[in-house]
Amino acid sequence: MTVHGTGDEPSAEELRAMTHEEAMIAGSEADGVHIVHRRDRFPIRGTKAEKRAERGVALAFLISALSGLGFIVAFIALPFHWHLPGTPQTFRFYTPALGGLLALMLVFLGVGLVLWAKWLMPEEEAIQDRHDDPSTEEDKLMTEATLVVGLQDTGLPRRSLILRTLGLAGGAMATVPLVALVGGMIKKPGSQLFHTLFRPNSKFPNGIPIVYSDFRRVSPDDLEPGGIATVFPGIREEVNGVNGVTDASSPTLLIRLRPGQKVKPRKGQGGFGWPHTNPEYIAFSKICTHAGCPASLYEQQTGRLLCPCHQSQFQVLEDAKPVFGPATRSLPKLPIDIELGEDGRQYFVATSDFKEAIGPAFWERP
Amino acid sequence: MKDIDVEGEFGFEPAVSATGAADEAGAAPKKVRGPKRRSGLRRRIGATVILFGALASMGGAYAAFAATSGAADTGKSAQNIAAGQELFQVSCVTCHGANLEGVTGQGPSLIGVGGASVYFQVSTGRMPASQQGAYEARKPAKFNEQQTENLAAYVQSVGGGPDIPMGNLRGTDASLGTGGELFRLNCAACHGATGKGAPLSAGKVAPSLNDATDLEIYTAMLSGPENMPVFSDNQITPAEKQSIIAYIQTLKASADPGGSGIGRIGPVSEAIVLWVGGVGALMMAILWIGVRSE
Amino acid sequence: MTSTQARRSDEPRTAQGKAGKFLDERLNMAGPIRKQLNKVFPDHWSFMMGEIALYSFIILLLTGTYLTFFFDPSMAETVYPKNGTYVPMRGVTMSQAYKTTLDISFDVRGGLIIRQIHHWAALIFLAAMLIHMCRVFFTGAFRKPRELNWLIGLSLIALGIIEGFAGYSLPDDLLSGTGLRIADAIMLSIPVIGTWVSFLIFGGPFPGDVIIGRFYIAHVLLIPAILAALIGAHLALVVRQKHTQFPGRGRTEDTVSGERVYPLYAAKAGGFFFIVFGVTAALGGLAQINPVWLFGPYTPSQVSSGSQPDWYMMFLDGSTRLFPSWEIRLFHYTLPPLFWPTVVLPGILFTLAGAYPFIEAKMTKDKAKHHLLQRPRDVPVRTSLGVMALMFYLVLFLSGGNDIIAKAFDISLNAMTWGGRIALLVLPPLGYLVAYRICLGLQRHDREVLEHGVETGIIRVLPTGEFIEVHQPIGPTDEHGHGLLTYAGTPVPKRMNQLGAASPLKHIRGFFYPVKEKPEIQAALDELESAERSPEATSADESTRQLTD
Repeated sequence: MTVHGTGDEPSAEELRAMTHEEAMIAGSEADGVHIVHRRDRFPIRGTKAEKRAERGVALAFLISALSGLGFIVAFIALPFHWHLPGTPQTFRFYTPALGGLLALMLVFLGVGLVLWAKWLMPEEEAIQDRHDDPSTEEDKLMTEATLVVGLQDTGLPRRSLILRTLGLAGGAMATVPLVALVGGMIKKPGSQLFHTLFRPNSKFPNGIPIVYSDFRRVSPDDLEPGGIATVFPGIREEVNGVNGVTDASSPTLLIRLRPGQKVKPRKGQGGFGWPHTNPEYIAFSKICTHAGCPASLYEQQTGRLLCPCHQSQFQVLEDAKPVFGPATRSLPKLPIDIELGEDGRQYFVATSDFKEAIGPAFWERP
Repeated sequence: MKDIDVEGEFGFEPAVSATGAADEAGAAPKKVRGPKRRSGLRRRIGATVILFGALASMGGAYAAFAATSGAADTGKSAQNIAAGQELFQVSCVTCHGANLEGVTGQGPSLIGVGGASVYFQVSTGRMPASQQGAYEARKPAKFNEQQTENLAAYVQSVGGGPDIPMGNLRGTDASLGTGGELFRLNCAACHGATGKGAPLSAGKVAPSLNDATDLEIYTAMLSGPENMPVFSDNQITPAEKQSIIAYIQTLKASADPGGSGIGRIGPVSEAIVLWVGGVGALMMAILWIGVRSE
Repeated sequence: MTSTQARRSDEPRTAQGKAGKFLDERLNMAGPIRKQLNKVFPDHWSFMMGEIALYSFIILLLTGTYLTFFFDPSMAETVYPKNGTYVPMRGVTMSQAYKTTLDISFDVRGGLIIRQIHHWAALIFLAAMLIHMCRVFFTGAFRKPRELNWLIGLSLIALGIIEGFAGYSLPDDLLSGTGLRIADAIMLSIPVIGTWVSFLIFGGPFPGDVIIGRFYIAHVLLIPAILAALIGAHLALVVRQKHTQFPGRGRTEDTVSGERVYPLYAAKAGGFFFIVFGVTAALGGLAQINPVWLFGPYTPSQVSSGSQPDWYMMFLDGSTRLFPSWEIRLFHYTLPPLFWPTVVLPGILFTLAGAYPFIEAKMTKDKAKHHLLQRPRDVPVRTSLGVMALMFYLVLFLSGGNDIIAKAFDISLNAMTWGGRIALLVLPPLGYLVAYRICLGLQRHDREVLEHGVETGIIRVLPTGEFIEVHQPIGPTDEHGHGLLTYAGTPVPKRMNQLGAASPLKHIRGFFYPVKEKPEIQAALDELESAERSPEATSADESTRQLTD
């Protein structure tokens, strides 16, 4: 920064002889700040108006202090533990009381400060030189020369061997942290996105049992016409930290159609429902093919299935084809069958995994 | 989420039984009447609103019983069925046919829908319907509790189907955890995690659960009104249904610990409060600070 | 303010004086400190929007630090205890992150209000940055030499959005988990490397067990550090380049006029910090935000209708809802529809915004430095472009909550989607046209008043029978009665009670009503002004004052 002085700044001796105010103005002039107007709000001390202003500011600070005190009392004394309905819900006043008192404390402190400035501090209008001139020609020339000579001193322009090897070292320096950092985080997706826990499992030769979230097996009798259930693969042991119910890719929607509703199956998947010919039960992945939300707003009369996140709509009767919104692909369909349980009841099993990758689309998905 | 052991959930005693309602879970089944925990100003206001609605539509003749009806017995006597049939012939027959067979273009057959369905439709005021449409909204009930049950008894006697459930319909406080899980898994997708409802496709609506009573929720699950899926007792057991009801009613009745619930609809109302309240207040503040006093 | 001693010694006698001497002997800062204390800040209400952002960032640091004392960013499974305070969650399986969030809300005394203040402050932080950006845009404050600061500000908004989303995800509740799942889908939608990016961030298939921990360290350390550094740079540039100001009396490209930092500006800015904090505290106490206990813990099979992100992400949610089902399939590869509205669109928006100062400079061939701001009406093209961008943003933003709107106003959801798609194409150009016409109209009216004067409301009948309204000229007139004042980029008085503000270098202070200068200020300004004005302007000003006196 350049010196803003006018060149005839007062000496120390002269400054000592000045009042503080005069010296302050001299200082601001030295900083390139011209105080063009400066006036006491109350040139005559002790007027009623001044006292009133002073009391106003003091009142704001007082309210602030009292609110702070109230906050401390409320914080300690008020009940805040949550209770079931039926008991007095006094806890509901705790947070509003704290917030209100805290807000009063803060706002009145702020208001007091602003009022102080507006009412009591001398008003002023100051104009400061911007000094936004570009660097002087002399400065530019000397800096440029400094840079050029410095570069010549290193000899880099003619020592190309050093330049190139330095470039290599620099490249390594930049790459190594990247590799070390990101490299440790890389996981190969492999085929993981193409499978769910409905994939064939040697433990279940007849197919993966279809269960509720509590691992109860799902029987055809469970669902009334027009009923739906969120079902899962009955894999209890954890695979990569998840079991059949907690796995994010496996949730499936089992639907029992109403009498008279017929599904138009997609090619090659006609027998995926149950009964295989003219199915009454069908199962689709619950994970929306658009952005992965569980699409489960099922309209049992119209057969529409909505996703609550982006309003994609699928028509179950057309094999969960997308009919509205941003989704582009049908929900994958789970091939189901029944097996006889030990108790003699019929239970659903999945005869194989979904034929397509479930959930949102990605590059490698055909 | 892990394996939810329903038996286990119901097995333990609640550490806090704030209302004593928990104790009634094991009580002998008795006829269903109004919810047990009839606390909370909101419920009373709701009842009052319903009462006034009924008064308005019925001329007040027997509406005085509507909100307070606590009739002791409704074993489906022939008397009830007969009374129901009488009502049916007056109010329902034009759309549903003299023998419940339905009238094409007017109303569906009621054979096999069961008393639960009738109870839900009539007690929430959806039936008699005002007009044909994609969605029938809740409105003040036209019939009182007794009349509704008579109608249900009649329809039940003709076609069978899921009947009005008997006994206690609300789970214990200890079942709230299970109820919450089941609610979020089966109900929240449409009705929302806070039960505020949501739009479905093309004008259809999953309604808010604000005014729903225990019995209405139960019968809705059993009968799957309009586009709502059916949740049979085999799929969601009666105990589980009760836990869901307990969760919903607790959710509705509990106060918000963090100040105003601002509709409990999540980030949208938060955005409105932010821009109107927060940013608005701050804009006023900077205008005030920016103006120089004279 | 008056001095008590006429003559001072060189040895300090007071405690403050001694402390000053102690410091100055070690740091030699008497000069630099005075320079900062004397720095002049222009005072206009619209210059305080950036301050809101700065202050809410400070509030976020304070409350966020407190929350870290209780929060455990772990996805390890736990069961809410059988004697837990929030009864409806007893026995429910949840992550440690969710459980500790419940604990902060229900078991830490005063924990809930700090959580809520933190969340509200985050919403205010982003809102303040957005309106600050709008102010800078519409007044042309981004022009040379401030393009770099414009870019820094834009990076702050982008980083702020990421920071906010990371924080929103931490409680691991059903709402934020749904958002996280969509974030995963967005990563997956990136061509070629999408699956690798997703697996890299999540440490495997969604949701894995590391994401909360990773987001946590990004949220409390990595991004705040970058934000703090960028905010520092942003402010340093303001100090270095000095603040812009609106044209007006005594305000030229070479000067800044206003109040000095010490004490006036410091008192007002300090007071405003507490007001911002107070408003945030009021919101935090009175309006419940993100009640995660109502949403439940995240489970991949569950979802709630009405799932929305926080407001600053809502425009992306809206674009995703409106985008048509267009998927590109190339041989055995897929380009998902999600890619366009969530990756490409924000990319385009931020690139356009970042490039705008350079584009405008190129189009207008304006290479000069600008320290004086422009009134939006005087730059109709820029203003209209801004309105167009805002309309575009607004449609996307509202579409982000179109299901809530559909439910509240009984509109078909499908109609909302189609309405949003059409509005997105129609409203922005319409907004451009309307804004453009309004700008021209305002400009014309300004010129009209300068030429013919202010409408007085007095109607006269001429001897010819013609009715005319008497106009009060606001400056000197020529022989035809036409005003000689030219437009100077400052507000023109439009009503009789605003007269006196018509001097070409004079600015109207005050928002609801103009503030009349006190005679002393007036005199000082006149003196200053007369030095730099042409003779005819002087006469114009004098006649103006005669009218008002």
